[in-house]
Amino acid sequence: MSQAQTSVGHAEKADIFCKDEARVDWHSKALWLLRQKRDRAAAAIPEWEELRTLGSEIKLHTLTHLPQYLEQFEANCQKNGIIVHWAKDGQEHNRIVHEILSKHQVKKLVKSKSMLTEECHLNPYLESKGIEVIDTDLGERIIQLNKQPPSHIVVPAIHLKKEEVGELFHNKIGTEKGASDPTYLTRSARAHLREHFLTADAGMTGVNMAIAEDGAIVVCTNEGNADMGCNLPKLTLHSMGIDKLIPNNEAASVLLRTLARNAIGQLITTYSSFYHGPKPGGEMHVIIVDNGRSEMLKDKLLAESLKCIRCGGCMNTCPVYRRSGGYSYNYFIPGPIGIAVGSNQDDTNTIPWACTLCGSCTYVCPTKVPLHNIIAYQRRLKAEAGKLPYGKAGYMPMVGKVMSSPTLLNCAMSVARFSLRYLPGSLLKPFAGAWGKYRELPKAPASSFEAWYKKNRSK
Amino acid sequence: MKIALFIPCLVNQLLPQVAIATTELLEKLGHDVILPEGQTCCGQPMTNSGCFNEARSTVMKLLNAFKGVECDAIVCPAASCLVAAKENFHEYDNSPEAKAVIDKLYELTEFLHDVAPVDSFPRAFPHKVSLQLSCHGLRMLELANASESMKPGFNKMAALLEKVPGVEILYPEPRDECCGFGGTFAMDEGAVSAKMGNDKAQAHAKTGAEYIVGFDPSCLMHLDGLIRRHKLPIEIRHLAQILNDAI
Repeated sequence: MSQAQTSVGHAEKADIFCKDEARVDWHSKALWLLRQKRDRAAAAIPEWEELRTLGSEIKLHTLTHLPQYLEQFEANCQKNGIIVHWAKDGQEHNRIVHEILSKHQVKKLVKSKSMLTEECHLNPYLESKGIEVIDTDLGERIIQLNKQPPSHIVVPAIHLKKEEVGELFHNKIGTEKGASDPTYLTRSARAHLREHFLTADAGMTGVNMAIAEDGAIVVCTNEGNADMGCNLPKLTLHSMGIDKLIPNNEAASVLLRTLARNAIGQLITTYSSFYHGPKPGGEMHVIIVDNGRSEMLKDKLLAESLKCIRCGGCMNTCPVYRRSGGYSYNYFIPGPIGIAVGSNQDDTNTIPWACTLCGSCTYVCPTKVPLHNIIAYQRRLKAEAGKLPYGKAGYMPMVGKVMSSPTLLNCAMSVARFSLRYLPGSLLKPFAGAWGKYRELPKAPASSFEAWYKKNRSK
Repeated sequence: MKIALFIPCLVNQLLPQVAIATTELLEKLGHDVILPEGQTCCGQPMTNSGCFNEARSTVMKLLNAFKGVECDAIVCPAASCLVAAKENFHEYDNSPEAKAVIDKLYELTEFLHDVAPVDSFPRAFPHKVSLQLSCHGLRMLELANASESMKPGFNKMAALLEKVPGVEILYPEPRDECCGFGGTFAMDEGAVSAKMGNDKAQAHAKTGAEYIVGFDPSCLMHLDGLIRRHKLPIEIRHLAQILNDAI
């Protein structure tokens, strides 16, 4: 599978993905399994819907009081001996990280999962400066070795089958040829990663939550890889968006109850670590990144997307994501939340339309991000900017004219009904586009309801 | 009650049998039914594509068809169009006259379940039906509890069908995943739309039901096109058609 290419629209990429139907079924089923596990975990908590409301309120409250919480967080971090940095964008973030690493002559960095470092393109930046970056989350390591970006924010290698991982590991880390047993592959990866943990000069993590009252960060993983990276090297760095702030531990305890349950149906992540400061003789840096978030906060609806805690539940439920794959979206975060936060970066202007507006994501979301409303709004923003895809700029005004004129509408529909009734299908199909390519054309009735009503009910 | 029918363009032009069944059903239930003239599309194809300027005159034309019409309720047998009409009327017109129209808008299922409940239907329909829980009716009108939601379960369409003797209610697996119609999505994203629709149609057929019954004609029309293409042993029916035959 090739890497995501830019500037090819979602429909075109999805069309290619859909050509291998067996693979689509496998991909869709794997993710639906996560949705089913999520349903069972959520159903086991009687107060689930209350937790969603609380989660939404906690995040909305923090976002609406963000300056004061950011200042409180910074002051409390400093009291704990944490060095705090501010980055207005990805470039500044990368520069700060590089400065810290080069000051300590770091040659190798072990990094746990962080979508923010993907957003900032940190890996290629550091590699260009001669620093080796090892992603230590198993899924992340797989795609790093395969030279691919994540196709999902929680299960980044979900698009690869175990046989493909076996082949990759054989070529890259010397596992036996043809071996695809997940336990064997995982153990091999662990041995391979242990070497890197022991020889790394610095560790880096993302941040799931930043606790203002304590000046602490929370990092959630299932593999303990973030903790290995934090506890072995003396130097640790932690990158976070400004949207990761929450007021206190009570707020964290609410979000921790929904995060893993909503992601994969797990009660809580195996490791949910609260880091309050550097180890003795060590150094701990937190880099707080804006990169467009303040701009989003100015718009009342877009601001709601910053409530997201990155559980990935919206992707697992999304019928379009499951059938088009993570690489069909022209943004590094795919699925509903990717459309919500990334549409203005999408130069194909198609990702807001990779959605039926079914609303399942909104109902799944543990912080009640109104995803389908935001996606509809992203379409409106594209239309207002004159960036409509799929020829809509051309035909929509015509639709508006026909629909608002009963004469034109009746005339057009009479012709359509006549054609559907009396012309052979073979003649019509070429004109029916994607409808006729996949479906039979509607069976046309003899007359409209209006005509029936006039004939049968006129008094 | 005096009921004004809201018959969206798609139903009027391509699925008149759904509107006829709705008319007859409401009349048999003792309601006085009228069809205000000058109705058109709810504007959804345009507003769902973000084209709010292009939709304005269409939406206003539909809204004006109902302004000042003397009735107790405006009833529509198409959930998605009803949701769009409600939202779009509100978008373009904040007048008291517009609000009076919006406040009277009901989708047929919710009207029969909440507003003018029906005790029972006398005639049996001894068939297996697989319910099509279309998204906008499900999540925006809350005609049933969506499977993602952990609120107490309810289903207004099933509650109505349970009053028809002999009906056996079945559900596809997954129960309420989108069928992939999505308006212009069916054309813009043909491959994914067709895949979603095929999965849905097959899931319905797998229940062993003879009919797919739903409250959204557009989703049913999309499924019908796929059922006939793949020659699946199942047919579509609108809820209004089943209930009309049961009385």
